[in-house]
Amino acid sequence: MKKLLTSLLAVATMFTLTACGGGSNEDKPYAGQELHLYNWGEYMGENFISGFEDLTGATVVVDYFDSNEAMYIKVANGEPYDILVPSDYMIERLIQEDLIQKLDKEKITCMDELVEDIKGLPYDPNNDYSIPYFWGTVGIVYDKTKVSEADLEKEGYNIFLDTKYKGDIYLYDSERDSFMMALKALGYSMNTKDEKELEAAYNWLVKCVETMEPEIVTDEIIDNMAQGRKALGLIYSGDAANIMSENENIGFYMPETGTNLWSDAMVIPKNAENVELAHEFINYACSYDAAMDNSSFVGYTSANQEVMDELANGDFEGINAYVPRTGNDKDEVFEYDEATRKIISDYFSKVKIAASNAQ
Amino acid sequence: MKRFSQLAWPYMIWVVLMILLPMLLILVYSLTTSGNEIVNFTFTFAHFQKFFTDPDFLLVLWRSLTIAVKTTIICVILGYPVAYFIARSSDRVRNILVLAITLPMWINMLVRTYAWIGILSDGGIAQTILGFFGLKDMELLYTEGSVLLGMVYNFIPFMILQINTSLCKMDKSLLEASADLGANKVQTFLRVTFPLSLSGVVSGITLVFLPAVSSFFIPKLLGGGQFFLIGNVIENQFITVGEWNFGSAISMIMAVIMMVCMYAIRKIDEHNSGGGNQES
Repeated sequence: MKKLLTSLLAVATMFTLTACGGGSNEDKPYAGQELHLYNWGEYMGENFISGFEDLTGATVVVDYFDSNEAMYIKVANGEPYDILVPSDYMIERLIQEDLIQKLDKEKITCMDELVEDIKGLPYDPNNDYSIPYFWGTVGIVYDKTKVSEADLEKEGYNIFLDTKYKGDIYLYDSERDSFMMALKALGYSMNTKDEKELEAAYNWLVKCVETMEPEIVTDEIIDNMAQGRKALGLIYSGDAANIMSENENIGFYMPETGTNLWSDAMVIPKNAENVELAHEFINYACSYDAAMDNSSFVGYTSANQEVMDELANGDFEGINAYVPRTGNDKDEVFEYDEATRKIISDYFSKVKIAASNAQ
Repeated sequence: MKRFSQLAWPYMIWVVLMILLPMLLILVYSLTTSGNEIVNFTFTFAHFQKFFTDPDFLLVLWRSLTIAVKTTIICVILGYPVAYFIARSSDRVRNILVLAITLPMWINMLVRTYAWIGILSDGGIAQTILGFFGLKDMELLYTEGSVLLGMVYNFIPFMILQINTSLCKMDKSLLEASADLGANKVQTFLRVTFPLSLSGVVSGITLVFLPAVSSFFIPKLLGGGQFFLIGNVIENQFITVGEWNFGSAISMIMAVIMMVCMYAIRKIDEHNSGGGNQES
């Protein structure tokens, strides 16, 4: 027994030694350095981080956030990260407030591999600051056994006011997605600055929470819809793709009145400590292998064209949520406007209070 | 004795830095308008006015207080017998039982609350068990009941330990005296044991009620996004809305409410122990 242990130990030591030797190898120029990554939870493939570490020899320290707003507070208060993955409108805000830096375009080698539709979007017209990571839309996830498609087509987002489905719906706990739904249900632009329209949307949401007994959730919707616990929910396309690959009774519907075309992209904050390595990371994240790992594991649509095409015809074949809709004039990209954001935030906290008081 | 007073200095510095200064900052925030620099104050009572003139906010405050009161009452009713039983056990058993009560607290509160989500969710263990008794498809998670359960579960150890301590500290000879004077067990409990343990109950109430009023992650996790108590309103103002001034104002209001509660509880306590001393 003792002998066995000793030999095991010896083998283990040998491995450690080789591992160390590999780490200090000259073709790993970033050995010993650290990259601080701030990303969404459940947004990376299983081998995504270790793949980058193997490639560069650097260590990646990951923190997770669950809302753009939570991320913003940390970054605005000076927490030093090398890479963030915020959404479109938040990138716009970070640019306006001078919190992120321009990318060194010469170091970014992956632009040609990306999907054309998500390059040069209004929040960053020349991709000076950001390189897309995932993208998608927002739509209605529904249980085909409980919801008729005729209802969806006829009512669009107003199905969330249809008392036939009372107590059987999920809302998403995010102010901009909730207001997008309400504004689109009413036929307005989701980027409206008109206070009357915003108030109408607020009233729409209050009516919904007061009459429909919704549950206001975030990521819980994924498991719950996959197990068919409720009939309807507002959801990101990537989460819907994930659910649909688990449960074939689930469908994803995008109302004709329009939806939000969103993208999450990688940016480098002003106070990043390892800008060089951050550029390296962006290139890595866009590359075929890494993007494939991420997208096939998480279910969100890849920004890499080849990966997207391959998955759309492979793992996610027949799942309409995986390929975001393009070509509908009423689909919009969210724009950041401080004054409107304040109004919407204020309204949304009152919607939640109304939901709570309605119980 | 005077020499030792110098030892209090580090403590004083700690109190100023960690408690007084942040409180002052919150106060300043609550009384100023947003967006201005620290050097350039604009004082306003608008945030307090906004809170007190909006029936929705007041309703949320009222709900938070009622839930906290319910939690506290349940904790006293369930906690007292447990504490009494522990206090009456032999030393060895008592140590084990106290350990058993404290043991779960070694695990992070958030993690334990997450565990309840799994237990209570649709198709979870709790629902399966209820299914055997013909109570199928009863909604357990995201109800007021689940929030109450989460609060009681998280805060009851504080109640039990406080009551247990006060019961253990009690002079046993008083019970013998009471028996000698002809009181039966019920009379002894009602007239000797219970009044003497009241100080423990009172500090237990403080330790349960205060966190229960302001807790935000228990309602968030077990009540869902549609269960919005005052703690959630504050969190929301800071994290999502970005209105630190309004959030600070609500925090100040809560601080004042809690101070009033603590003062009232202490008065009751003093009144009781004062009475007890005179009798003995």
